[in-house]
Amino acid sequence: MQTPPLARVLLACSTIFLVATATSCGNDSSGAAGKHEVVLYCALDQVHAEPLIREFEERTGIDVRAEYDIEAHKTVGLVRRIREEQGRPRCDVFWNNEIAHTVSLANDGLLMPYDSPSAADIPEAFRDPERRWTGLAARARVFIVNTELMQGHERPSSMWDLLREEWKGNCGMARPLTGTTLTHVTALYSVIGEEQTLEYLRGIKDNEVNLTSGNATLMRQVREGQTAWGWTDTDDYWVAKSDGYPVDVVFPDADEDGIGTLFIPNTVSILANAPHPDTAKQLVDYILSAEVEERLAKSRSAQIPLHESLRTMEHPFDLESIKPMEVDYQVIGAEITARFAELKELFLD
Amino acid sequence: MNRALRITAGLAFALLCLAPILIMLTRVGVSDLENLGSERTLGLLGRTLRLGLHSTLIAVLIGAPFGFLLARTDVPGASLMRPLGIVPLVLPPLFLAITWTAVFELRGPWATALVLGVNTFPLVALFTAKAAARIDARREEAALLVGGLGTALRMELPLLLPGILTGAALAFAFAVNDWSVPDYISSVGPKFNVYADEIFANWQLEANTGKAVVTALPLVLVTLAALLPALSLRRRGALATLDGDFRRPAPLRLGVWRWPAFAFCAAVVLFAVCGPIARLAFEAGGGTRGFTTTAFREAMATTLEFEREFLANSLIWSAVAATIAVPLALVIAHAIERLRGGRWLEPIVLLPIAVPAILFGIGTINLWNHDATAEIYDGNAMILLLYLGRFLAFPILVLSGAVAALDPRLEEAAELAGAGPLRRLRAIVAPPLRPSLVGGWVLVFVFAMRELDAAVLVPAANHTVIFKAYNRIHFARDDSVAALCLLILFFLVLPGLLWSLFAREKLEVLP
Repeated sequence: MQTPPLARVLLACSTIFLVATATSCGNDSSGAAGKHEVVLYCALDQVHAEPLIREFEERTGIDVRAEYDIEAHKTVGLVRRIREEQGRPRCDVFWNNEIAHTVSLANDGLLMPYDSPSAADIPEAFRDPERRWTGLAARARVFIVNTELMQGHERPSSMWDLLREEWKGNCGMARPLTGTTLTHVTALYSVIGEEQTLEYLRGIKDNEVNLTSGNATLMRQVREGQTAWGWTDTDDYWVAKSDGYPVDVVFPDADEDGIGTLFIPNTVSILANAPHPDTAKQLVDYILSAEVEERLAKSRSAQIPLHESLRTMEHPFDLESIKPMEVDYQVIGAEITARFAELKELFLD
Repeated sequence: MNRALRITAGLAFALLCLAPILIMLTRVGVSDLENLGSERTLGLLGRTLRLGLHSTLIAVLIGAPFGFLLARTDVPGASLMRPLGIVPLVLPPLFLAITWTAVFELRGPWATALVLGVNTFPLVALFTAKAAARIDARREEAALLVGGLGTALRMELPLLLPGILTGAALAFAFAVNDWSVPDYISSVGPKFNVYADEIFANWQLEANTGKAVVTALPLVLVTLAALLPALSLRRRGALATLDGDFRRPAPLRLGVWRWPAFAFCAAVVLFAVCGPIARLAFEAGGGTRGFTTTAFREAMATTLEFEREFLANSLIWSAVAATIAVPLALVIAHAIERLRGGRWLEPIVLLPIAVPAILFGIGTINLWNHDATAEIYDGNAMILLLYLGRFLAFPILVLSGAVAALDPRLEEAAELAGAGPLRRLRAIVAPPLRPSLVGGWVLVFVFAMRELDAAVLVPAANHTVIFKAYNRIHFARDDSVAALCLLILFFLVLPGLLWSLFAREKLEVLP
């Protein structure tokens, strides 16, 4: 009997689907070949991470299945996936470009302790006491200033300068609802106290501080002269500086009584019940090596190295002169969800 | 039709399209409903509705005259401008936003409404054109005899109105759900928030998934409130099924208004289509550093070389998803139209396009990330399942509209003559539906090629070209980014272009 054509179409579609499924199964090597692969969820910019990952693959022969987030999601996609996949984790290593979400995942029992030998000379302040995560390659929260618009003005030197009448409507920061700005403001709660932080945040609204959707946006506005200065991260500042824009950097609150500059490290961790724990450890050792950190420090993002052995390396910033803000990252990670709810009431209206 | 076939298609729809949503609803508890209507969130919703209304108004002001003029009048160049006018709908709205904000000082909510209005005006234009083409020639000739062009237009307006309103409702639904345009325009100017920001924010840090799901409900209800009347209106007025002695109307002669009408249509095409493409081409060729054709060629060649694999992935997965979707949609659409009470299923069909993409994506993770389905979840099949789940609704709606216009007596006669259900579907139903079948295929292909927000949550999406493009747009606006956008745009319009070049029938993409 002749098969009717529509049935043939349906048959063809089913075949295509099965072929695609089969192909995908072929790509996946969580079975026997699994010991030679590792799944990496990477929130660091793909452009910076990809060459490092390729080098690791060449050196070790381990296939890294790297999955990235899109910048607009600001790590939300990967963190959410880790949470939703916890019943059957498929990620081995999480390379986060900030710390708060990592601490939050650790607190929820989603990360596995691993004391990497590569991290031996990274200061304890940047390592989880239980070794569920380790920090590397930090960014700092700084002011980017447009040097042309600063003429005739005293440069800002303190976070409180955002509230000065002189800069009303002419300084900016990202909305403290995502990324490093959220981490920064959460840190302020524990460093200067709840009352003063709320005073600061209300002052920001009252002084018509230009609230942008992200740090890179604020950097672009300052370099173009649309805003005189504002909060951003060192990597954004350095991109503008490298491209020849008239900008400079200020590490704020550096005087004796000042609270100093907040460092926000990248963090690397292995997932609890990771499918490939052995290769995961090898990858973590590689990412945490001084060699990788040095390359990140020399890249366009000018990450700040944390390895003691790299303290004296040549760097765009005078690392020895920066006064670091004393914070407990565990507290930031524990508080960030609750603070976020409060910040939404203030800034998401 | 064969009951087994219907049941199979229905189960596939339930699994692909409804299960990811239902699984998320099971995570909602009663306490999650608290704070849903706070003053702040209602304020955000109000702003989003205003933004949607303003952009819809712009879409109507451009789309209704544009659609009518090109469909029914002797405006010069109509045959060329008609397909060009659809291009903004195919373009990812972010592409429009990045090109316009680069050329003009467009900032703030009004700029967002303008971009979204231009992005969605083809919906209004297409429905208006469809309605305008279905006004009986005898009615129009009578009106022309009595009072000339003005009287004819006054007679036609009530008949066109359901078409205009259907397009407007769809444009509104698209606009209120868009997050990329407000986010991007906010990122080059002052920040303003829309309700999608609230949804996104809650997915970010809300450990309670139920609360994050609940946040989406007001926008889902608003979207359904716009889409359900649209579904009903699409069979009213001139959009109703044609009767047997329908006479196609002749083009209306515009007289002295012919060239002003041409100027309007040409300006729309220039502004909405040629402008953004020219800007991308300019940037690909060096942009403000100095445009050269050599630089343009180099940028295109280099981008094609580096992104070939990602382009191929996107093209193959989108095409396979579309090819699977069409026969499945035909069976479901036929059931909707021919089964008693089948039309009650249409609102359910709308659900996958009414819920936020991120909710659907996370529902998909929850549904498929189990040991038994691990091979599917970890592999490329996952992206096909996601595309099918998200976009199967489009061909179903297109085809149910087309099946409704078919006389059921033809199928009954074939059945009496002994033709089986598959043969009836193949020989009686499918042939006159060819433009709708291809239209449904094109819709799934285009939306799958553009899909990011839900797809980014599944592993295979990392290897699609739209993923690469969005990341690169954020980090740089160099010539390679513009070249990549042009390549994506080319492949998005390619199926429609090929059809219009080689097929004799008009592509049918309307529900």
